[in-house]
Amino acid sequence: MTSSVKVRFEQVRKEFVTRAEGGRPAGRFTALEDITLDVRSGEFLALVGPSGCGKSTLLDLLGGLTTPTSGRILLDGQPITGPGRDRGIVFQQYALFPWRTAAQNVEFGLDIAGLKAGQRREVARHFLDLVGLSGFANRYPHELSGGMKQRVAIARSLAYDPEVLLMDEPFAALDAQTRETLQGELLRIWRATGKTIVFITHGIDEAVVLGQRVAVMTSRPGRIKEIIDIPERLRTEPEDVRALPEFGQVRHEVWSLLRDEVQRAQQGQLADAAGVRRPGHEVTEIAHV
Amino acid sequence: MSSLEVLALLELAQGRREQFQARRPPFTDRLRRALRGLATLGHRSLLVIILLAAWEAVPRLGLIDAVFLPPFSEVIAAGWQLAQTGELYDDVSASLLRALSGFLISVALIVPLGLVVGWYTRLGDLLNQFIEICRNTAPLALLPVFILLLGIGELSKITMVIYSCAWPLLLNTIAAVKQVDPLLIKSARTMGATPQQLFRKVILPAALPTIFVGIRLASASAMLVLVASEMVGAKAGLGYLIINSQYSFLIPQMYFGILGITVIGLACNAILEAIERHFMRWKAPVAA
Repeated sequence: MTSSVKVRFEQVRKEFVTRAEGGRPAGRFTALEDITLDVRSGEFLALVGPSGCGKSTLLDLLGGLTTPTSGRILLDGQPITGPGRDRGIVFQQYALFPWRTAAQNVEFGLDIAGLKAGQRREVARHFLDLVGLSGFANRYPHELSGGMKQRVAIARSLAYDPEVLLMDEPFAALDAQTRETLQGELLRIWRATGKTIVFITHGIDEAVVLGQRVAVMTSRPGRIKEIIDIPERLRTEPEDVRALPEFGQVRHEVWSLLRDEVQRAQQGQLADAAGVRRPGHEVTEIAHV
Repeated sequence: MSSLEVLALLELAQGRREQFQARRPPFTDRLRRALRGLATLGHRSLLVIILLAAWEAVPRLGLIDAVFLPPFSEVIAAGWQLAQTGELYDDVSASLLRALSGFLISVALIVPLGLVVGWYTRLGDLLNQFIEICRNTAPLALLPVFILLLGIGELSKITMVIYSCAWPLLLNTIAAVKQVDPLLIKSARTMGATPQQLFRKVILPAALPTIFVGIRLASASAMLVLVASEMVGAKAGLGYLIINSQYSFLIPQMYFGILGITVIGLACNAILEAIERHFMRWKAPVAA
């Protein structure tokens, strides 16, 4: 693992136009403000924050689905201008194509890239093996459990060999046991592939278990509040890391950082609900890429 | 009394099942399964069998004048005669040709149009009012207009079918495109799909089930409008057969014409269902 920078956020700011009921622009609100963050090559970075802090906006920006209002995002020193296969995204809701089998889903990115059917099949088989779904290549998504669907989605994102894997609360919709299994699997896959992973979550435990570093975000407008290094021992422990005293310490650290933000976010939401700040306004984007 | 015979046969067969059981297990198993299938069929078709039996019995018992409602067997006999003279073939082929050509032309024209309208929201806004007006003008009300403009030949009938198929197809195709899960589009875009790839590999397959709803509705609409227009002015076709038989007081023939339309409708539906099942193998089976 090198310590070179893979992704660099430079004072990134993202604003949305709020619209009144008739669709007239009614004001602006800042989702992200002054995000400056380096993600190292091969690093596993977990990003936690209260709900509505702009985590998903950050991921959309990184995915190239929207553009920052100001500032810029660099991937290997080059500004991100749009979506591309150098970044793979894994969504919470799997986003599998229901008319494609597991293998065909994994092949999708390669299909888009114009790879021949034979090669695609080869690659798909390899990545289905990697996520432990060798026997399920010909199953349709509706025939798979939630955990299996997410494995397929991970395989699909890895199949076209992206530089960075972006994961947007990928395990949030799974039951606790499946989630823990998949966390372990993801760490194994990460070690096997050496990918840079940006993992967004609202689970503190999950962030501490998975991340080499945990970036804590503030409530709206989202900023990076603090970045915590996770002790190496937590990452090499083969047994239940959650039982280690260090785990409790780090967990508590992240929790205290988040607590204030969650309270602030809730107050903000209450104020919104009471119509103090933005009565009945819907948020829409200024620019759509 | 074919239906009653079937019932009797079923009873007989069920009685015989016990005899077989004792002797040859593998064969009996197969037989039992076949019989169970037959029994389910009998169970599902029970109402139809009863209705046909009633159709046969009621005029024979004199409860309804047999002139106005001839027994089922007479209707079938009249149909057999029609088939032997070749008249039936002419009528069925005329109707099928009109319905199929109109339906297929409509699908070929309207589904692509619907895809475009659904994709470009602005175009949809522009056309929305026009579509609503046309859709709510019953096609049959326009029949005189089509006849005035296009004559009473094939052209007016096929145009009627195209027109009546167009609206369910158009509305469902537009809705189909609009209902595509935005997350799937987002996911495909993050994988670098170009707009063309997005359309071909995501929008189209995702829209297919709803487009098929439109196709099924259109096929029903095609038959309805076709029969009506054949009744108004035609020299062949099942609609013509029905109305002409009524005028000539060939009542069994008339009923046979009606049965013919039912059979064609059922056949069309079965074919469309088979096609749909083929294309939508990926869908979760709907719980019965």
